[in-house]
Amino acid sequence: MQIRIRCGCGEGTCAEWAVVELQGVVEPQPSIGDQIQGLEIGRLCCTSSSSSSPGSYTFTVGYHELTGSKVALKKPLLVLKKRNAAGREEPEVGGSSVVELEAIGIIRHKILFKSRPKALISRAQTKEKKIS
Amino acid sequence: MDIPAPEELEWLETNAFLSEEEEDYMVVEEDAGRDQEEDLIEVSRRKAPDPATTIEIHTSKKRPRTDKKAEVEVLEGVLADNERGIRRRASGDDSDEEWLRYSPPKDVAAADAAPERDVAVLDVAEEKFISRFVSEIEGECIPVTGPCGDRVYAKMNSGEMGGTQRKLIREKPANGLLSEPISLLSRRAEQEALAKALQTSFDSPVHQIHSTSQTVNEQLWVEKYAPKSFPELLSDEQINREVLLWLKQWDSSVFGSQIRATSDDVLSALRQHSSVQHQKFSNIKSFFGKKRGAPFSNQNFKSSDVFDRENNNLKGASKFSSRKPPFNHPPEQKVLLLCGPPGLGKTTLAHVAAKHCGYRVVEINASDDRSTSTIESKILDVVQMNSIMPDSKPKCLVIDEIDGALGEGKGAVEVILKMLAAEKKSSAEKGNATQEAQPGKASSKKGRKAVALSRPVICICNDLYAPALRPLRQVAKVHTFVQPTVNRVVNRLKYICKKEGFRTSTIALSALAEYTECDIRSCLNTLQFLNKKKEALNFLEVGSQVIGQKDMSRSVFDVWKEILQKRKLKHERKSTSGCSGHGDFDYLYSLISNRGEYELTMDGIYENFLHLSYHDPLMQKTVQCLDVLGVSDSFLQYVMRTQKMSLHVHQPPVAITMSRLIAQVEKPKIEWPKTFQRYRAMLMEKKDLLKTWQNKIVPSISRHLSIKSFVQDVVSPFLHILAPPTLRPVALHLLSEKEKDDLAHLVDTMVSYSITYKNSKSEPSQKVHKYGAVPDASVLCFDPPVDDFVKFKDYQWEHCGLSAAMKQVLVHEVEKQRILRDSTGRSMNLPDGSSSVKQVSATINAEVIPMMNLSGSSSVDGSNKLNAALIQRQELSRDASKTSSEVNKKLPASGVNLRTPGNSKKSSSHSSSFFDRFRKGSNTDSKVSGDASQKAATTERDARPLLFKYNEGFTNAVKRPVRIRDLLI
Repeated sequence: MQIRIRCGCGEGTCAEWAVVELQGVVEPQPSIGDQIQGLEIGRLCCTSSSSSSPGSYTFTVGYHELTGSKVALKKPLLVLKKRNAAGREEPEVGGSSVVELEAIGIIRHKILFKSRPKALISRAQTKEKKIS
Repeated sequence: MDIPAPEELEWLETNAFLSEEEEDYMVVEEDAGRDQEEDLIEVSRRKAPDPATTIEIHTSKKRPRTDKKAEVEVLEGVLADNERGIRRRASGDDSDEEWLRYSPPKDVAAADAAPERDVAVLDVAEEKFISRFVSEIEGECIPVTGPCGDRVYAKMNSGEMGGTQRKLIREKPANGLLSEPISLLSRRAEQEALAKALQTSFDSPVHQIHSTSQTVNEQLWVEKYAPKSFPELLSDEQINREVLLWLKQWDSSVFGSQIRATSDDVLSALRQHSSVQHQKFSNIKSFFGKKRGAPFSNQNFKSSDVFDRENNNLKGASKFSSRKPPFNHPPEQKVLLLCGPPGLGKTTLAHVAAKHCGYRVVEINASDDRSTSTIESKILDVVQMNSIMPDSKPKCLVIDEIDGALGEGKGAVEVILKMLAAEKKSSAEKGNATQEAQPGKASSKKGRKAVALSRPVICICNDLYAPALRPLRQVAKVHTFVQPTVNRVVNRLKYICKKEGFRTSTIALSALAEYTECDIRSCLNTLQFLNKKKEALNFLEVGSQVIGQKDMSRSVFDVWKEILQKRKLKHERKSTSGCSGHGDFDYLYSLISNRGEYELTMDGIYENFLHLSYHDPLMQKTVQCLDVLGVSDSFLQYVMRTQKMSLHVHQPPVAITMSRLIAQVEKPKIEWPKTFQRYRAMLMEKKDLLKTWQNKIVPSISRHLSIKSFVQDVVSPFLHILAPPTLRPVALHLLSEKEKDDLAHLVDTMVSYSITYKNSKSEPSQKVHKYGAVPDASVLCFDPPVDDFVKFKDYQWEHCGLSAAMKQVLVHEVEKQRILRDSTGRSMNLPDGSSSVKQVSATINAEVIPMMNLSGSSSVDGSNKLNAALIQRQELSRDASKTSSEVNKKLPASGVNLRTPGNSKKSSSHSSSFFDRFRKGSNTDSKVSGDASQKAATTERDARPLLFKYNEGFTNAVKRPVRIRDLLI
């Protein structure tokens, strides 16, 4: 099956994306329930931006700070957008030709957070609480 | 009229009208003394103008003289001048008795009985010397105020009157040592005479002769017949000997070798006497008893003779003295403490023994001078100073009624203790020297008299156990007086009665002695009083006749003893008189009410009466006694509350009732009541404990839980709840669902009642965090020891405790739960009291025990969200706290058990091996729960909508060491 992909931006200029890989789950507070749209997940910072070495990143979610690094993907990934192109195209192509995929960006890197997250709440404080 | 005369004069000067101070002088210088007396008599006679007053004055003068003469003669007897002594005595007695009968003509005769020498002085010019008005006196006069405040004027003697007087002075050429001339002495005599004369001049002429002079002049029998020498003492022989021995031990240090050193033989003999005195002195005692009426002097002489002979016999017998080292230094205990009920002759013994040993007795009555400083200066004066007079005897300090000196700072006792301490210090310094100086008669001891106690001190008290005496009791040599036998007392009384011409019967006297408990003073006072009233001693009504009993408060031990012990003597008397029942009652009543401390008295009775072996097969007496004690107790309580002290009147009858019921003849063993104090302290402690515990309980529970009702009603069922028999002591994950529920419930209960287990052996502050370390060394028990309230002595309580393993699990769970509770309690404000608390605790329970089912809140979560099963425990707890308030109505709905694989994985995710997982299971649990609580606590603070949850890896692999060679083969 042939899938036609269209790219609006052209080969060199396609937007570069990145994958954030976490070991763990990001989930909403139970009080929020299901309305998770529009919520800020966290803050991603590039801490060392030197071009030579793989950059290190921190990602702050909730009260956790994750530290990770930028890793190149072995195979780049393409970010596609499915678009229903039924109205414009010829009908003889069949059902498959109805759907059109548009490339939005290319993913060549991922930011991998594989270490255990660091809690932003200091430990000593909790201990004191326990004692009291 | 030879050399001793000045001393005699000096003595007269100082002790002009004090009798019985120094008979020894009289012994030696009897002649001079007699002369002196006569002089005085002359003087007094000379001063008297009209015949009536003459008689009066003469009488008053005569009395002490004759008395003294009697004394003189007694001691004369000791000097073996028997016949003369008896003769003198006879004449003295004559005059004495006649004088006592108060018939003036006879008095004149008595005056005539005086030696003929004073006839020369009788021709005295009859002149008005004394008058109440100045005008009646010619020449110079001097105002004189009598003892009763009347003022008279006496003529001053000038040249013509002083003739005889001067002659008298000239008769004694050696009186240069006198600081006061004889004229002063005579003036003093004159003053006394004046006073007497005045007193009588106010009365009617009839009375003048009879009553007034009688009352004024009669000497108390107690003083008159007080024992004057050692063998006369009525107190127990053994004590007398001991006291004497003790005093003798001072000899070497006080008198030194140059004056009189008591030889070792005497001491050993004394010691032997005091030990074997019963055979040796029975004869003496017996002839004291039989022949009281005979002149004392004779017997005295004899007994002392016997004494000496015995001493001589024992001279060679050093084996007696080898029992103790010979006393060349003052005795170990420098203070002698005599104690005993009043009237047994303690003071008399002290005086007589001291005099016998050649001391001059200085008596300090501690109840007179109450302040420490006064007493101290007095004691120091006596103990540390020497008289400068050449003939001075060493002093012996007698502190009477030392237990009366409680006032401020226990005056006398303190002073004595201070001196003893000084003594100890100095003796410690030269301890060795003292030891070596022993054989050398220790004359060097005088050197250290400066600070320390160097004179014998005899303290006398009534109550040995007075609190003020406690320190003294430890350092002093204590002798307790016992009552002399009634026989001895009665014999003595009989003798005195005979001497006084008072008719009594032996029975009456013995009844009297018994009634007063051989209080001789009281007996004598009573007899004298009756004699005065011309009444006979009626042995049936002794109680009403006795007068002048010393106000005695007995020690509380005595009171208890009296209550709990039936008196044999009373029994006998009951058969004879029949009315002693009332007497008994009165006696006990006054005894108890004199003691006063009813609370203590009742306590003592309460604690001791069950030790009595009274015959009570049906426990009726016991019940009755306890009833009565209950009444007393409620009285006391009421008095305490309302301060109506008059109700105390009803206390003694209570005690008497008990006494009637249970008193036994045999001696009860009485112990000081301690249990009241002990239980009171325990009660306070327990109350405190419960109070603090109640404060720790959740307020919503504690406000419905009063301490009292808890102890009375709740404890036992509560303990049953805390130790459910259904709980199997197995690992948590082996429990069935129902059991897990039960366990959760139990933990919930324990947490909300803030009860936990703790190691009883380990230090109490240490929590049972590391229970795994030494689980078997100590026993786990309830932390507020609630089970103590059902534990009684000899009571088998049927609450089965949990097994130790279970307890440990519970400790752990409770601890976890409490932490959780703390955090949730802080994070949420509980709007609807206890129900919400319970909900929360229920939900939390469910998840905190992860190995159990995730019922309850997790199921709620499950119903709420799809991924609830995957939620880790930390979040779960937080969820629970959040959701419980919202959804606690539908909470009990679903019993669906969502056993999440994530959960079970989670708990053991980072344990390294399969076995470790089980071992440390609960440990990680606690850690996780700690995390959970910590996170839950902070959720509110940083309101972050999204959270990251880290997925940890896990492995099921079994790790074990493998050798490479195993792989190679």
